[in-house]
Amino acid sequence: MLRLEDYEKIIEKCSHCSYCQSTCPSYLVEQSESSVAKNRLLIIKEMLMHENLPFTPRAQEILDDCLLCTNCTQTCSSKVPIDDIIIATRIKIGQKGVGGIKQFVMGKMLTQRGLTGALGKAGSVAQKIGIATKEIPQLASKSFDKMYSGTYTPAGTVKKRVAYFVGCGTNFIFPDTGEAVVKVLNHNGIEVIIPKGQVCCGIPALAEGDLEGARSMVETNIKLFAGLDVDAIITDCTSCGMMFKEKAAKCLSNDDPLQEKIATVTAKIWEVTDYLQNQGLEVPPGRLDITWSYHVPCHRGWSPTVKDAPRQLLGQIPDAELREFDIPEQCCGGAGTYFMEHREVAEKVRALRLQDINNTVSDVILTQCPVCRFYIGFQVMDREVTHPIKILAQAYGL
Amino acid sequence: MQGLVKDLATLLGPTQILSQPEEMLAYANDATHYFKSRIPDAVVLPHTTEEVAKVMKYAFEKEIPVTPRGAGSGLAGGCTPVHGGIVMDLKRLNQIVEIDGSNMTARVEGGVVLKKFQDTVEKRKLFYPPDPQSGCVCTIGGNVATRAGGPRGVKYGTTGNYVTGLEVVLPDGSIITPGGKFVKQSVGYDITHLMTGSEGTLGVITGVNLRLLPLPEADRTVIVVCETLEQAAEIVAEIIARGAVPAMLEFLIKLAITIMNQYFFPPLPTDGEGYLFMFFDGTEAQVEYEAKLVSEICHDMKAKEVRLIEDPRAAATYWTARANVYPLIQTIFERANSEDITVPRNKLPDLVRAVQEIAAAEEVMIGLAGHAGDGNMHPSILFPQVTPEALEKSEIAIDKLIRTGLDMGGTISGEHGIGIHKSKYLAWELGDIQIELMKRIKQAFDPKGIMNPGKIWMEDGDKHA
Repeated sequence: MLRLEDYEKIIEKCSHCSYCQSTCPSYLVEQSESSVAKNRLLIIKEMLMHENLPFTPRAQEILDDCLLCTNCTQTCSSKVPIDDIIIATRIKIGQKGVGGIKQFVMGKMLTQRGLTGALGKAGSVAQKIGIATKEIPQLASKSFDKMYSGTYTPAGTVKKRVAYFVGCGTNFIFPDTGEAVVKVLNHNGIEVIIPKGQVCCGIPALAEGDLEGARSMVETNIKLFAGLDVDAIITDCTSCGMMFKEKAAKCLSNDDPLQEKIATVTAKIWEVTDYLQNQGLEVPPGRLDITWSYHVPCHRGWSPTVKDAPRQLLGQIPDAELREFDIPEQCCGGAGTYFMEHREVAEKVRALRLQDINNTVSDVILTQCPVCRFYIGFQVMDREVTHPIKILAQAYGL
Repeated sequence: MQGLVKDLATLLGPTQILSQPEEMLAYANDATHYFKSRIPDAVVLPHTTEEVAKVMKYAFEKEIPVTPRGAGSGLAGGCTPVHGGIVMDLKRLNQIVEIDGSNMTARVEGGVVLKKFQDTVEKRKLFYPPDPQSGCVCTIGGNVATRAGGPRGVKYGTTGNYVTGLEVVLPDGSIITPGGKFVKQSVGYDITHLMTGSEGTLGVITGVNLRLLPLPEADRTVIVVCETLEQAAEIVAEIIARGAVPAMLEFLIKLAITIMNQYFFPPLPTDGEGYLFMFFDGTEAQVEYEAKLVSEICHDMKAKEVRLIEDPRAAATYWTARANVYPLIQTIFERANSEDITVPRNKLPDLVRAVQEIAAAEEVMIGLAGHAGDGNMHPSILFPQVTPEALEKSEIAIDKLIRTGLDMGGTISGEHGIGIHKSKYLAWELGDIQIELMKRIKQAFDPKGIMNPGKIWMEDGDKHA
């Protein structure tokens, strides 16, 4: 249930080894231990759990600066679920009404897909609260759900059936990803069902401590997907995948009747390239003379194979060559809606990421996260940043 | 300390000072937070040697304690600011100044992260062997200050074997550059290596000259499962005696393997008691020969299983897991106190037996892991629960462990340093005359006693052994 008091014991497992300094993006740009996961845990412990010290606006700011990228949690050998503890803290602070974490506006908007231009409104909200950024992604002229809905059956034998959860990034900004997902799956004999009435997965709301908002989105989506007779549930977005796999169940109490349905969905959720790699391609892809680099999204910890899936899948395309980044897994700073409210830190994190990107020569940058796609894309002019599934679609001539 | 923060802000600018408790909680200790913690009065984050010197000059005038700090990943409490004052965080001195392939040398600032440095030189087919297991975060300045080492010590030695020169800011703010880029020097006292292992008590290490080696072309990983701990220890002694020189030779117990198995596919069998992880590097022919020789020794000595890992990615997972053993242990125990005993290598079987006897006699759990190849073991007292009774028992057990190691002709610390954690035992190893000599050296460098006070030896008022 993401209640802070439930973490009092596990927070003691932090051994102060400092290994989180190796991957925490806010630490890497600040180079100060104030801004590292370990210090955030200490603030939570000393100021909110044990109340040995007063909780101050500066402490709040340090907690707010966390991107929830989950790199610390993935690095932590002591297995402290640091991101969950930060979320639980934001929920608690939100409830107490202390300090200034803003109630999440954008998340609420995304609960209703019917609202056209939700992200356009998000942009104007961002401007109203004084964090004007020109880097608000362009909305697609037609959202994915306006073009695709219902069941898409492959031409030949149906090998598998999957349901497709369409995240907000694909729906509003990059419907091209969605098109490629449907075509590539169909091409491999996989039937795709796109249920009507899907809403945001809930992760942006949860990141802001809006448990209620996240819970209602989880409920809507779970009710929509749990009853479907499918082999798998597919997402093209690693953050949506993480939300379903790891966070959805935590948004409801353990004895909530919906937990069983959540478990059904959790067991079936796959990122699309991970799923295809796991199943094996039915049709070998054609030749594609392209060099590509792979920016591994931060929200990869929920599947042990998701970060290698694009490498293996696209490795089957004759003539396509992977040019690895120095640190393929380094955060880009976008982090959902973080870049809007924490422009300065986000831009520093991105600048660090861009050094590596600019040192690596390739034709295209691939990533499964729509936020990475546009946030890196704003600053990379010489190459397209896109989803790996699109390259596979291209190799198939789809 | 009135006006301290304001003065420091004037010296360095406000973005390089931390002064609110919530900004400094992480600075109150290193990875031994269960010993002592103290939030400093201020943290400074200098970018340059000159800034370090400015702060030292100020602290010297005002007689304010200064505790230099690298990553804060130490295991001896060396950078815990026990007397408060200023913590000097050196992680922003993070430039690799030079890698000179033709001379096989490098020059780095003190705050360069070890792994970043190693990755950088390895791209140029060069090799910097010292490998404290916190390499992903620990700094080279911190490595020098603690004379840090790791598994590769068996073949390649530790940090001290690679340092050829330093840049040091002395307590009064003056800057010295002992040693240099040359690989040998015979000029007066060896200040370079006196600073190496000085744990921040003599000055601040801001720059380091290092010697490099050519990157070995090939490597092999061999995993050995042994029936008993004694068998594992005897195999280690035999390997050394037969002249095989692994680059790493690690000793682990079943408990560690069960936790590490989450990294391995297929998992290691858990029906053995002792486990050896070995790594050979060199030319292809050499690693082939050594891996074969060692496999034969293990078979002759009736090891349960010898697993040769061919796939480099699989091999890497074993070593990643090895690097994470200490934090992994913390997932199942409330606390783990790691010791750092090092004995002559032929004494390893005796040490292993003695550790088990002490554990049984004192009714404590002692996990045993370490760099068996160089005789450096890390027996860890494992606390299912931290109670006053458990702490008391553990102290008796640690005393006995240390005494046993010394009686075997060993040392109380192979690579962690003394800090506050092991100062109680300093006199056991060095005796009063050496400690007095060290204190006089300290007095010569640091007449006002502001450099990392309270470390290495016991202070008046501390509980003596």
